[in-house]
Amino acid sequence: MRSVACAALCLAAGHAGAQSAGQTSALDESSAGTNTQVAAALLHAPYSDLRAIRPIAGDAEAGRRKSESCAGCHGEHGIAIVQEFPSLAGQHADFTYWQLVEYKRDAMPGGQMTPPMTPLAADLSDADMRDLAVYYAGLDPAAAPATEAAARPATAEQLQRGELLYLSGDPGRGIPPCQGCHGSDARGHRDALRRDRNGRTPYAAYPALRGQQAAYLRLKLAEYRDGKQQDSTTDFVMSGVAVALDDASIQDLSAWLASLSWAAN
Amino acid sequence: MRMLQRSQASRLTLCMVLLLIAPFARAQDSGLGIDLQFGNALDPSGLEPSSGIGTLGCDPDGASWLTSVRKRTPTGFLYACPPDHPEFLLGGEWQYRGAFSVGYLGLSGDQDNMLFSRYSNWDDGLYLGGSFRYEKPSDGSYFDVRASRINDDDQYLRALYGRAGKYRIQAFVRSQSNVTSSNARSIWEGIGSNNLTLNGALTPASSTSAQVAAVSASQPEQSLVVVRDKQGLGINYFISPRWVAFGNISHESRAGARPFGGPFFFNYPFADNGGAYEIPRPIDDSTVNLNGGARWTGSAWRMEFAYSGSFFRHANGTFDYQVPFAVRPVVPGLVSPLLTSGQFAYEPENDYHHLRVNLTRKIALNGEFSLAASGGELSQNDQLAPPMTCTGQFGIPVIPGNLYDCANWNTSAALSRARADLAIKTSMLDARVVLQPGRDVTWRASAKYDRQDYQGDYDAFNPLTGQWGYPAENGAQGSVVPFESGIWDPGPGASNITRIRNLPLDRELLQFTLSADVRLNTSNSLGTTYSFDRTKRGNREVATTNDHSLKLTWHNRTFDWLTFRANYTYLRRTGSEYEFNPYEYTFSTSLPGFVIPPNGVPAHTVSAMRKYDVGGRTQHKADLMATFVLPSDMTFYASVRGDWNDYSAVIGRRGYDALGGSLQWEWQPTTATVASVWYGFDRSSLDLANVNDAALTPDPVLGGATYPEANRWWSRDRQRNHYAGLTLNQTVGRIKLDANWNWSSSRGRTSYSFNSPGALTTPALAALLTGQFPDMLYRAHAVSLGVAIPVNRSFSVRVFDRYERGRVSDWHYLGFENGQVLDHRVDTDGGPTDYSANLIGLAFEVKL
Amino acid sequence: MREFVVMTFATVGLFAAAAWYAPVDAQQGDAKPNPHNLPATSLGDRLDDRLDDRLDDDTLGSRGRTGHPSIAASPGFAHASVANNPAVRDAKPVGQAVCMACHTLESKSFAHTTHALGMNVALAASPTTPTCEACHGPGAAHAKNPTARGLIIAFTHDGGTPVETQTASCLACHAGGARDQWLGSVHRRNQLSCSDCHNPMAQSSAEGLQAKRSINETCATCHQDIRQQFNRRSHMPLPEGQMACVDCHNPHGSINAVLLKTDTVNETCYQCHAEKRGPFLFEHAPVRESCLSCHTPHGSNQHALLVAPIPMLCQQCHSHVRHPNDMPNEQQLASGLAPDERVMGRGCLTCHAQIHGSNHPAGPRLHK
Repeated sequence: MRSVACAALCLAAGHAGAQSAGQTSALDESSAGTNTQVAAALLHAPYSDLRAIRPIAGDAEAGRRKSESCAGCHGEHGIAIVQEFPSLAGQHADFTYWQLVEYKRDAMPGGQMTPPMTPLAADLSDADMRDLAVYYAGLDPAAAPATEAAARPATAEQLQRGELLYLSGDPGRGIPPCQGCHGSDARGHRDALRRDRNGRTPYAAYPALRGQQAAYLRLKLAEYRDGKQQDSTTDFVMSGVAVALDDASIQDLSAWLASLSWAAN
Repeated sequence: MRMLQRSQASRLTLCMVLLLIAPFARAQDSGLGIDLQFGNALDPSGLEPSSGIGTLGCDPDGASWLTSVRKRTPTGFLYACPPDHPEFLLGGEWQYRGAFSVGYLGLSGDQDNMLFSRYSNWDDGLYLGGSFRYEKPSDGSYFDVRASRINDDDQYLRALYGRAGKYRIQAFVRSQSNVTSSNARSIWEGIGSNNLTLNGALTPASSTSAQVAAVSASQPEQSLVVVRDKQGLGINYFISPRWVAFGNISHESRAGARPFGGPFFFNYPFADNGGAYEIPRPIDDSTVNLNGGARWTGSAWRMEFAYSGSFFRHANGTFDYQVPFAVRPVVPGLVSPLLTSGQFAYEPENDYHHLRVNLTRKIALNGEFSLAASGGELSQNDQLAPPMTCTGQFGIPVIPGNLYDCANWNTSAALSRARADLAIKTSMLDARVVLQPGRDVTWRASAKYDRQDYQGDYDAFNPLTGQWGYPAENGAQGSVVPFESGIWDPGPGASNITRIRNLPLDRELLQFTLSADVRLNTSNSLGTTYSFDRTKRGNREVATTNDHSLKLTWHNRTFDWLTFRANYTYLRRTGSEYEFNPYEYTFSTSLPGFVIPPNGVPAHTVSAMRKYDVGGRTQHKADLMATFVLPSDMTFYASVRGDWNDYSAVIGRRGYDALGGSLQWEWQPTTATVASVWYGFDRSSLDLANVNDAALTPDPVLGGATYPEANRWWSRDRQRNHYAGLTLNQTVGRIKLDANWNWSSSRGRTSYSFNSPGALTTPALAALLTGQFPDMLYRAHAVSLGVAIPVNRSFSVRVFDRYERGRVSDWHYLGFENGQVLDHRVDTDGGPTDYSANLIGLAFEVKL
Repeated sequence: MREFVVMTFATVGLFAAAAWYAPVDAQQGDAKPNPHNLPATSLGDRLDDRLDDRLDDDTLGSRGRTGHPSIAASPGFAHASVANNPAVRDAKPVGQAVCMACHTLESKSFAHTTHALGMNVALAASPTTPTCEACHGPGAAHAKNPTARGLIIAFTHDGGTPVETQTASCLACHAGGARDQWLGSVHRRNQLSCSDCHNPMAQSSAEGLQAKRSINETCATCHQDIRQQFNRRSHMPLPEGQMACVDCHNPHGSINAVLLKTDTVNETCYQCHAEKRGPFLFEHAPVRESCLSCHTPHGSNQHALLVAPIPMLCQQCHSHVRHPNDMPNEQQLASGLAPDERVMGRGCLTCHAQIHGSNHPAGPRLHK
């Protein structure tokens, strides 16, 4: 009998351990009553494990109210005013949210200086981040007024190369097709919100790339390629993919993606 | 290499040559050979020899960056997590990883108890372990070594050297122990040798029961252990993409002792007479196993040729034991010559050769035709021991024909043949066709012919005296009961009934099988098999048995969360007429000069007996297996199995039913936690019936004079077992915890009923009988806990503790606590006993 | 024996000659493309012909086809072709770099296996050699739509690949040998895949790339009823790590009952118990018939894996006159009123000690 009790204790301890271990299950419901706790746990994890996330929820109206300071860079309608900043309109809320978490973790690469977003994100609460992400996801990028044309107009060949690379990759160079994760229409992962067996949505934080700012895409792709973006499981996937990209491919891809219109298709 | 000096050496050379011709050789695999597992009780998987269970956790990153859902097998079970192997380090052309540990095991409690230490022979002391892997990425070479040492009797070192896809050489040395008794009280000295002599306080054939009991009681309890030491070498070589050659050789020596018998006739009917000894017999032998062959594989053809050989050698052909008690004739006033020692023949040295050819060809309809042929020979030609070891005379004086001169029996000249010269030749031919006319249908047909032929006859005939038979029970039987010596002669012993020749057991099997599998849809498949076996046996009760069996299989995956498998088998065995005494010709009753005794030749056995290995039988067998794929990375598994056998027997085994079930739950919620819990239950019931003989008459019929209805009795043995287990591996930070609990509770209850006290040896005891034996019990707990704490990257400490407790009761040994010598019965082994033992270990592990 | 050897070698000779000289198309059976990594059966065939199924130059682009001539790939890995995935007949292979781009963690685990070691050498020797795709089939369709089931040969519960496709992929290299009888085996008929027992993606076990930490644990996932028998009082030393299920059984299929590795139950037991092989001067018929007449192979609550307590075990067959057919009872134990050597301690085996057969001329009753 003593042994049985001991065994039961072990089991209980095991469960408790599973909860406290937390590192790879930070988003398990059992360990996190609210997303606030989630983010808090994640701030100390070695990396953000986005394989086990659930879709976030937020208050779009509250997000709109909090978005005033964001609009300065990301545009009133979520379309960035300069190419180096990402447009947020129509972006998957989960992507935006987890990007903010990454800033909050102070894990975003910024070259010589701290990225401008890092101090801005530091003051955001978890609810703020969720509200903002939901708000921007709800904006219709197609409805936004047209912005200035790209600084460097792309050539038809460049767009063609970018499209081919996006849709088919380049096996000879070890580049998989981007559409596998970002969708054949570049609107994000086709199973972004499909729950897996455990009720998680591991692909929810894979961004839509359609119509994204070309310079921002170039910057990000280069960061991935150069191994500077290593803070989440999706970063690890993307680093593996981007490592084979050369500058020309990055240009081609970014140009083609930026050229896509939300309205079309 | 003692074994090579025998006359068989030439044959051995021949097979060595064969080995060389049949190019090289493959390491053992699931198709051939043994020694596929290297591990021990501290690390049964053999995966973590450096410091034991639980130290190799899961890769904390998981298996994939893409998803956190644990990968499952197609059936739905969770794969073991990818282990957190240390990264390879670079060293020139080679990369390597590895770890070794030095530890100390401390035992307390009943550490020697047989049930606790059976296959480990636990002892306090240093233990060592290590595992290293070297790889040369430029050409695929690798070197892999695993070793663990708990003590001299439980250790292994296994090394692999190879080049991926080219060759693989395996070498190993291992010691495996088998504790056969931990509470032996031996009245003999020289345990382990082939001459057991009585303790100095005892005189052969002249000691009293009290003297022997005193010596037995004063002996310390000691362990009898048999240790196997084995060395092996094997190679698997890709000559080309088509040809693979393989070969293995191993040598094993066994040494030690185990409890064994020692017959000097009955004691139960004859107080202060006879002798029933349990001796600690020596084990001292060795075996060389060889196999080798070549395999050819192409897209359409496949073939394989393999040779296996095994050569068993003993250190001594016989072993002797002195006996403390004298036997005396039941005839008052007579005194038999003293019999001071008994003898056993060691299991004979034997040679085994086996050749096998498999040929397979792809045929039309996406099918395969395959042919397998094998032939082998088990042979032995041991020097035969003389029938007796005595000097002077044995038997009973005065009564004519009952006293024998030892000189006529203690020499090889007393044998009809000096050597055994026996063999069994086996041959097997198997042909099968599989056709897959569509993706959803598979047809199968096979035919098999298998035969074993005995070669060699032995007559128990003494050319020195012209007598047949043998001195039974070391001469004791004939020293107690007149005309029961076991020796037949045309004179005074002309009515003596005894065995006079060996019993060849030829067998021939013809088997046909037809089966069809149909996939009904993507989630359902059905299979059915009909098979017919006809077995012909020489010199057995049933000359031909016919087995018809029908098997149904159903597999269902309709639900994403359930994999269900069901199998049902019906088998019916019929056969030719049951002949209750096919052994007549092996008895002296078949000799020309045999004189039928006044009351006739007693019946060999009751004619209603049906021996279950050849008798009729109807069997139903079912198993159901369900694997539930649950959320949160859990799996639940349930299975039920039943086996119901009805033997159409009035006397003999009548039925054997077994039913069992098990439940298992597995959980891998994170890479830090791996947990499983299981519970199992099974029970079985074995029914038998028998009848006590009332008189020595020729009537074999149940209900007749020999086997009267009144003497019938029935017995039922029911077994009931519960089992459970739990494992938990948990990583907390850098600390690894492991816990393991294993429990079983078994109860065996043997009950009986009888028609009248005539069924009993001592009818007067009938009133005292309870209808059942005391329950046979075995309840065991084993709990182990371990913690591994890394000090830095390359150094960690592991502390573990295992506590085991067992409660056992085996009615065979009830009363032994009051002494193991009862009248002329001497038992050496005290039987299984309760235990409670603790093992604590401390290990320092160094990673490279 | 001699006749058998002659017969065997004659059969083999004929078979080998036929294999050598038969025309290639006859060897290929029907005209379907060879779905195997195995070389064509005709020995005159060029192994390089198999290159057709590999990555083509276009796919490989600038890396081209020339490898390092100084590296000799092992025959076991050198001639691999892309596994056949009937679900995506038109898909092209993409090469391991593309696979590893997303599957970095998988390849990290895989790197600890001998498969990885051999494949990488073959790849270095010839960049056209498929590695991941030798098992998983062509990757192009999967890369474009990775979450669609069946586009890649997956060996998992949720992968959507039929079991037949999975096993065909493994057998493309591993046909023959221990797996020669897979096609008719009970495990195949119960719709098991290779990957129900094996996980080649990680070195999770010491031997044989098992799905669990050891061979025994792997078998026990389904055969829990057998696993629990090893908890019994007497058992084969599997829980003690000294033996594996595969010492006796070939789970891949054999031509013998219950997947035994050898022709008979007894020959299986003799692998370790060679002394019981004999033949003995005096045999005990049920012993020669089958060791399982008296022993259960996995575990028992009796001494020495016996199926029933002695003397009842023996009394199932023995009712000869004089002494074996009395009804045993508890009063015959050492604790009873009429102690009896036939019931207590070793029971019948006290006298009939050589129960497996006696080689003593005075041992017909297995006394010596």
